[in-house]
Amino acid sequence: MAKDKKYMSPREKDYFDKVHRWGITWTIGAILMLLSVPVLVCAKLGVLPDGAALKQVLPQLMTLYWLTAIAEVIAYVPMLGAGGTYLSFVTGNISNLKLPVGLNAMNSAKVKANTEEGEVIATIAIGVSAIVTTVIIAAGVVIFSLFVGPEVLQAPSIKPAFDYVLPALFGALAASYFEKYWKLVIVAVLVGVIVLIFSPAMGVGTLMFITIVAALAAGFGMYKLKWL
Amino acid sequence: MTGDFKADKIMFLIAAAVIVFVIAQSVFFIVKSWKRAKELGISESTLKSTVSSSALFTVAPAISILATVFVLANALGIVLPWIRLSVIGNLAYETTAAQTTLDYWGIALNKAVEDPQQFATITVAMTVGSIAPLILIPFLCKFLQKKVGFAMNKESEKDKAENDGDSSKKKTNLGDVISASAFIGIVSAFVAREINGRTVATTNRLDALGNSIVNADGTIEKVKNITGSAGVVSILVLICSMIFMTVLTIVCKKFKLSKLEPFIMPIAMFAAMGMAILFMNVLPESVSGLTWYEIGAEV
Repeated sequence: MAKDKKYMSPREKDYFDKVHRWGITWTIGAILMLLSVPVLVCAKLGVLPDGAALKQVLPQLMTLYWLTAIAEVIAYVPMLGAGGTYLSFVTGNISNLKLPVGLNAMNSAKVKANTEEGEVIATIAIGVSAIVTTVIIAAGVVIFSLFVGPEVLQAPSIKPAFDYVLPALFGALAASYFEKYWKLVIVAVLVGVIVLIFSPAMGVGTLMFITIVAALAAGFGMYKLKWL
Repeated sequence: MTGDFKADKIMFLIAAAVIVFVIAQSVFFIVKSWKRAKELGISESTLKSTVSSSALFTVAPAISILATVFVLANALGIVLPWIRLSVIGNLAYETTAAQTTLDYWGIALNKAVEDPQQFATITVAMTVGSIAPLILIPFLCKFLQKKVGFAMNKESEKDKAENDGDSSKKKTNLGDVISASAFIGIVSAFVAREINGRTVATTNRLDALGNSIVNADGTIEKVKNITGSAGVVSILVLICSMIFMTVLTIVCKKFKLSKLEPFIMPIAMFAAMGMAILFMNVLPESVSGLTWYEIGAEV
C-alpha cells in the first residue's frame, strides 16, 4: 500500500500536529456543548440543581469516572490514533464499537496504528461509525417511540441477536489475529479466563490491562524464542 | 409539573444540536483524513471499502445502544438518554450516574423522575461525571501517541529496514509483534469475559411497594445482583463467529474476492448473531439457558 518510509518524517509530524490542533479545538467545542445541556435544562425548567445532592454525589462519581477515564485514555490512545481518539472520546461507546471498527478497518486496509496510513484509515472508519450510530439512534428513537414501541427490540425472535452482539463482534476480531498469532491469542485469552475465575465480575477496563500486559510479555518472549 | 418536561421542545432542540455537532465533527475529520489519504497514495477503492465496511460493522452494535436508550427512558424520558448516549455515554456510566444521584433522595431508577429539580440535578451529575476523558485528552493524547504509539512503530520500522535487504524472507519483526500483542490483549479481555465472565449491578433494595429501603443510619440499603453471565450460548456464538470469520477469509483468499474482504468481519458478526437466535430457539432451554452464574442471584 503505502511506501516504506522513515519513522516520523517532518511532513508526517506536521500532519499529526495539525490533527492534534483540530482535535483540541473540537474537544473544547464538545465540552462547551456538553456543559450547555444542564445549563439549558435548568434555565428551561426554571430550577437550580440541588446543591446539597451534588456536593454528596459528584465526589463519588468523579472519583469513579476520572480514574476510569485515565485508564481508558492510556489504553485506547495508542490504538485509535490521534483523529480516532478525538472522535471516539466525544461520541463514546469506544470499547464496544469505535475500537473494533478502527481495528477492523486497519486490518482490512493492511495498515498499522500510529502510522499516517493507519491514522487516516482509523479516523475515516471511526468517523463513519459515529455518523451511522448517531443516525441509527436518532431514527430509532423517533420510530420506536412514535410508531412501533420499544418492546419490538425485546421481541423473543430477535432479542438473542442483540444480547450476543459482543461475542459475535469480538469472536470475529479475535479470529482475524488467529491465523498469524494463534499462540499469542490463546495465551492472552487463557490469562483473562484464569483471572476471571478468581474475580468473575472484574470490569473489562481492568481486565484489559492484565491481558495487554500478558500478551505483550508473551509476544516478546515468543519472539525471542522464535515461536512467532 | 408533569413528566412532560422530559420531552419538552427544548430537549429535542438540544438533542438536535448534539447530533449536528457529532456529525459535523465526524465529517470534518473524514474530509481531512480523506485528503491526506489521497496524498499518501491510498487508493480510492480502499477508502470506499473502509467507509462501507465500517458502516455495515456499526449497524448491529448501534441497535444495541439504541436498546439501552430505552432502558433509561423509563426514569429519565426518552430525550436525555438519547443525548447522553449520543455523546460520550454508555449504559454503565449513565446508569451509575443517574442511580447515584437518585440515591440521594432514596429513589430507584425503575421509577419515572417527576421532580424538575431532581431531573436537573441528574443532568448536571451525568455531564460533570462523563466529561472527564474530554478534559484529559487534550493534555494526554499527543504525549501518549508520541511516547507509546510511535515507540511501537519505531521498532517496526527498524525491523522493516533490516529486512528490506531480503524482502522474500517476510520475517516477523518485533514491532509487528508488539503492535499485534497490544491489540490481542484488548480483544482477549472481551473474549475471556464471554467465556467465563459475569456482570454485577448494584441497585437499591426495594420494599414490597417498590420504594428504596432506608436504613436506621439514613443510608440506602444496597443489593448486588448478577445481571449477565457467560454460558453455553455466549461460547457457541464466540466459536461460530471465529469459524465464520476464518472460513470467509479462506474463501476470499482462495477465490481472490478482494472486494469482499473488508466485509468479512461484519458478515461474520451478523451470521454469528443469527446463530444466537437459532441457538436460543432450537436448543433445549436446559442447554440454551445454561450460564455459569445464575442471573438475578444476589452476590
